[in-house]
Amino acid sequence: MARTLGIWLIVGLVGACLVPWYLTNGGLLSLNWIGGSGTPENNPILLLALIHGKLWLLPVVAGFPIIATLLVLRITPAKRAKLISIIALSVLVYVAVQGFLVVRNGPVLLNDVFHVLGAEDGQAGLGIGALLVVLSYLFILTTAISMSGNARGDAFVIGLIGLIIALVAVFVFFPISQILLQSLKTDAGGYSVTGFLKRFFSGEVWRLDCLNGGTCGPAINSIFLGVLTGAGTTTLGLSFALIFTRTQFKAKKLLRVLTIIPIITPPFVIGLALILLFGRSGTVTTFWADLMDMQATRWLYGFWGVYMAQLLSFTPIAFLVLIGVVEGVSPSMEEASQTLNANKWQTFRHVSFPLMRPGLANAFLLGFLESLADFGNPLVLGGNFNVLSTEIFFAIIGTVADPAKAAIMSIALLTLALSAFVAQRMWLGKKSYATVTGKADSGQHASLSPKLKLACYLTALPWALFTAIVYSMIVFGSFVTLWGYDHSFTFKHYLQAFAIDFSNGIRWKGVAWDSYFTTLTISSVAAPLTAILGLATAYLLVRQKFAGKNVFEFSTMMCFAIPGTVIGVSYVMAFNFPPIEITGTSIILIVMFMFRNMPVGVRGGIAAMSQLDKSLDEASITLGANSFTTIKRVILPLLGPAILAALAYSFVRAITSVSAVIFLVSAKHNMATSFIVGRVEAGDYGLSIAYSAVLILTMLLAILLLQALIGARRLRRDNRVR
Amino acid sequence: MKMSIARGVMVLLAGLPAGQALSDELSVVCSNDERWCHLMASEFEAETGIDVAMVRKSTGETLAQVRAEAGNPKIDVWWGGTGDPHLIAASEGLSQPSEADTSELLGWAVNMADISEGRAIGVHAGALGISFNFDLLKEKGIEPPSCWRDLADSRFLGEIQVANPNSSGTAYTQLATLVQVFGEDEAFELLKQIGKNVNSYTKSGSAPNKAAARGETGVAVGFMHDMVTQKKAGFPLEIVSPCEGTGYEVGAVSIITGTRNLDAAKKWVEFVLRADAQSRAPEVEVYNVPSNKGATLDPQTPSLGSVKLIDYDFATYGAVDTRKRLLSRWDAEVKPSSN
Amino acid sequence: MNSQVHGAVRFDGVRKNYGSVTAVKNLDLTIESGQLVTLLGPSGCGKTTTLRMIAGLESVSGGQIHIGGKDVTHLSATYRNVSMVFQSYALFPHMTVIENVAYGLKVKSVPKKEAHAKAEHVLTLVGLAGFGARLPSELSGGQQQRVAVARAVVLEPEVLLLDEPLSNLDAKLRRHVREEIRQIQQDLGLTAVYVTHDQEEAMAVSDRIVVMKNAEIAQEGSPVDLYEHPNSAFIADFIGDANLVQCGITKTNGEFAEVEAAKRRMQIRNPLGCEALANMVIRPQDIVLSKPDRNPGFSGTVTYAAYLGSQIQYTVDSELGELFVVGGATPQPFTKGDVVGIQFDFEKVRLVG
Repeated sequence: MARTLGIWLIVGLVGACLVPWYLTNGGLLSLNWIGGSGTPENNPILLLALIHGKLWLLPVVAGFPIIATLLVLRITPAKRAKLISIIALSVLVYVAVQGFLVVRNGPVLLNDVFHVLGAEDGQAGLGIGALLVVLSYLFILTTAISMSGNARGDAFVIGLIGLIIALVAVFVFFPISQILLQSLKTDAGGYSVTGFLKRFFSGEVWRLDCLNGGTCGPAINSIFLGVLTGAGTTTLGLSFALIFTRTQFKAKKLLRVLTIIPIITPPFVIGLALILLFGRSGTVTTFWADLMDMQATRWLYGFWGVYMAQLLSFTPIAFLVLIGVVEGVSPSMEEASQTLNANKWQTFRHVSFPLMRPGLANAFLLGFLESLADFGNPLVLGGNFNVLSTEIFFAIIGTVADPAKAAIMSIALLTLALSAFVAQRMWLGKKSYATVTGKADSGQHASLSPKLKLACYLTALPWALFTAIVYSMIVFGSFVTLWGYDHSFTFKHYLQAFAIDFSNGIRWKGVAWDSYFTTLTISSVAAPLTAILGLATAYLLVRQKFAGKNVFEFSTMMCFAIPGTVIGVSYVMAFNFPPIEITGTSIILIVMFMFRNMPVGVRGGIAAMSQLDKSLDEASITLGANSFTTIKRVILPLLGPAILAALAYSFVRAITSVSAVIFLVSAKHNMATSFIVGRVEAGDYGLSIAYSAVLILTMLLAILLLQALIGARRLRRDNRVR
Repeated sequence: MKMSIARGVMVLLAGLPAGQALSDELSVVCSNDERWCHLMASEFEAETGIDVAMVRKSTGETLAQVRAEAGNPKIDVWWGGTGDPHLIAASEGLSQPSEADTSELLGWAVNMADISEGRAIGVHAGALGISFNFDLLKEKGIEPPSCWRDLADSRFLGEIQVANPNSSGTAYTQLATLVQVFGEDEAFELLKQIGKNVNSYTKSGSAPNKAAARGETGVAVGFMHDMVTQKKAGFPLEIVSPCEGTGYEVGAVSIITGTRNLDAAKKWVEFVLRADAQSRAPEVEVYNVPSNKGATLDPQTPSLGSVKLIDYDFATYGAVDTRKRLLSRWDAEVKPSSN
Repeated sequence: MNSQVHGAVRFDGVRKNYGSVTAVKNLDLTIESGQLVTLLGPSGCGKTTTLRMIAGLESVSGGQIHIGGKDVTHLSATYRNVSMVFQSYALFPHMTVIENVAYGLKVKSVPKKEAHAKAEHVLTLVGLAGFGARLPSELSGGQQQRVAVARAVVLEPEVLLLDEPLSNLDAKLRRHVREEIRQIQQDLGLTAVYVTHDQEEAMAVSDRIVVMKNAEIAQEGSPVDLYEHPNSAFIADFIGDANLVQCGITKTNGEFAEVEAAKRRMQIRNPLGCEALANMVIRPQDIVLSKPDRNPGFSGTVTYAAYLGSQIQYTVDSELGELFVVGGATPQPFTKGDVVGIQFDFEKVRLVG
């Protein structure tokens, strides 16, 4: 333990004495400060405080010698641990407080005091030195806590908890608090709670006029759409899951592909394809109108179009949740029911279906949340049907920007999402479905009753056909000159986007290359970090007991419920200024992806880890391995599929997400989706779709590659010892 | 195993250009067509040796970002897009005078610079117009429109698409134009009548025109240069210059206050105002009117000379107060009358 | 008290609460070095919790735990020199047998060659030489169990913990394996703590048995002590089978007491000094059934008879209540409905509270 403290002390001292405290010109990880120590900006904090007269920074450095002294002092271990943790915590709080009090232009409060302490010139954003020092104090704090005897003494676990809490606080709560602050702002520039309440509960948000012919408020529309999308995707997902697990349907492989592709489709693409099929001049609409001798209408633009697009986009998510659930229903339960003379329908109705209910609730919740946060489909197909996510976007970028309105709508959206989340938790909390143990069970799943089977086929197969048509349209669209009008075959869209000039060495001539490379780099950095963060959180939630676990879990799930637009804006608000100044860098994109996509890693990790017998960890621990070794040697190798899912999901989401990205891309770090949005806006559908097709292919290859890398390990879950 | 993964991540991170713009790199946000942005950036790089980091963003997004980053901008120059957001940025002190030479520029471009005290200078202009899908109207036997007033006629019931001025600068320009042509009260009366024919108020200003090109709507209101692009792409689109006269937008270029690359930014402004640079727009199918007197025009470009232009009052209608007033009146009177 | 010795375990007033539920109440216990001590009791009595507290898998709500004289109360499991054999074996399914056994050595940075040599040696010890390259899933239940033991003993722990190690084996294998475990423990001189709810298993392997009930120790002692000198009706019933016959004490007389049951008076050993009401502990094999008219004594009716080959088990409805009787196999066993005389040696009967 003392060794761990020593190591972190050394890390902290390196951060304090050798590397620059502030962000240097080259960025956080740049090394160009070496040799340029002449300017104060490039100095480590020790020199800043001692030589450059920035006295107010002194307490940050002073913590180290005090802690070192305590380490050699002859006092009881418990007392030492307590004193060290108090000091480390105080320094951490001090770093945060001084960061908000002394900004770029100087101190915002206590001018006189800070003047004396040399802070009149203000300060830049925190850099690599600050990162090391803060991490050092954080881990000294957690190690000290683990030594104090109040916890079960594993420095690694407590360090992990501390790290995740710190990360969530900085990258979830801090930006969200900025939005909340914004929502309280009044036109006059002050803050007012009553003003907020008045606007929050106004008809602007919650209007119910559509019940008698008018238009409803965006919040009502969002709820309406969300509930129907949740119900629709859950029904479709269940049908697919039943077909997969309980019928002898022939083309299961093909069906599987159709249920996966929508997940890896960039936004807008499905909307565009729907317009070409069902728009007023769309193929299907014209055909139908001619056939029935009716006027072609614009029915697609509005609720129905958005609903259809959302069903196409989100059914796969419901399917992925439900296939696990449907498989998880213990076959012996169904066999028991059948031996008690229940027929197939009764077995399904009274045994299997009730056991699937938690899964159905989960799938519904996911569909609801996705629908609330969806931005691309309502934008393209919404017509006059307004939902919260697009209203927020236009409140920010519209002709009269109204950040307060955006913030209020964001809070409405957040309220909806969190209420759904809480409601589901409460409902599930009261019921026990302990039969879904994940233990090997040698029985046979009951096949479906003929009527139910027919119902499944009738729901799922038309949808599958529909998806197939939509995707062939997309491929088709990328190879024709002018989609919908001039169907002569061409490669021009691909060439325009991805041409390479070999005449004079390799020159990436196509317009898409820049954003393509950036997207790939950022996604492949973000994906493993997201997976690590998600699985680490899941590990803490499943395997460790600690105070405040519920709050911890809830806050890690929050990011999922917050729509991307809100995240994007709140990140710009929070991270454009010291103390943390990372806008315009790739770091902000990576961090945003990490926290936005982490909840799925957490969910997947929890599900997978709950199926691993806890005695496996305990065996490892009692054999002398610490938690870290246990995770590395025992848990991770057995979590193959969950890791794969978390990696693939975060990679794919980083590539396909758009709403948050739009605000965070910068000149140097442009992402593919934001590029595509630009092309769609300019009406250049051919290029957009060609680019999307390439992205889909890239993601497919990446997933296959991941599967080859992780799946090749020896992972015989069916061989698990009981 | 663990070590190699950690090392791999470090290598990846180290390889990322994680920093802010270096001092010899110019960060440009371009609100024009992607390819036009691309072309000008590479020409500028070739000529000056200054690296350009360019991203395309709509004017609304850019203004939101410039506001959020006020005091510590990551953007050096903002080029293109409708002039109003540039004027707002100028009035809020978010952009700074570029001191560029405006003697070679056309009157409306200089006017823009005067209104903004040199902070925003006109780079191109485009007139508002009406487009209609020739095939669709012919098939339905609807007489094409030629004036703003025609749009109020019941023959266009459900056939007109315009953007929502709350979200679209294009639509706001149209609103302001009608107010200037007809007077405020009459303009709103007309808008209400047109509203009965409107099938959708889109969020984006360029959406109605694209919908008309694809036959999703019969008639659309938008900028003529966008219409030319669609027409040249092969859609059966016809362009009408309204008989009562029409307004126009002026695209602008602004240097963001607090830029760390002021010299390079000034070079960029001078570059995009030059005749030879502006003359290249048609190469990438951009058909608005360049602001330099010496720039050559593509024959397809709807020259402002052939269009009956009104004397658009940017100073009044670009002001935030006027905007708020007109928009809330639009919300109260026009929006509810739509279907 | 020689708790300073390597391997000795001492509990001082140890408590464990889960919220408002008490799992272990004020436990004082000493386990001496080199002994195999069994924690025995019905499910929910706190025996597994006690074992897991020794391992460090459960935190302690109060009191101290010492291992080898060292206070380990707040030491995490990783750093305690104990190993555990789990009920589910908890073999790592992704590792081969040899990798499983060498795991503990590997995480202690023993060179791979040495670790594998040691592992191989221990595998030989448990009779699994040559199985090293297999996956756990390719072994039978008994073999898996032995791998689990090998994995735990290879570390030569101060204390070996076994949590119901035999519960997943069939009856025959169980006897065989428990003998092996006892053999290895004695050969290596290990201190071992063994948890089971099976009293026969406990009697067979233990030096000492600690019987737990309702989060407390009910009685501890050697198997003989517990069987011969139960301190309560619970122990008498739990350790071995016993008929508990309620009786009234009419007179106490030093080590003996005069009791009355079914209107008859008897002199019965009374080591606990019971007064007034008590229970007579009559072991089933101490009762002899006979033809009814043969001797004066109690009588009853056979309600159930089960022929088990080496013995016959009867349930008899008698004046003393229902009695469970084990008799030797005789050519003419009693059958259901027979009226029988009942005799037992008063010397072998004990009184408990």
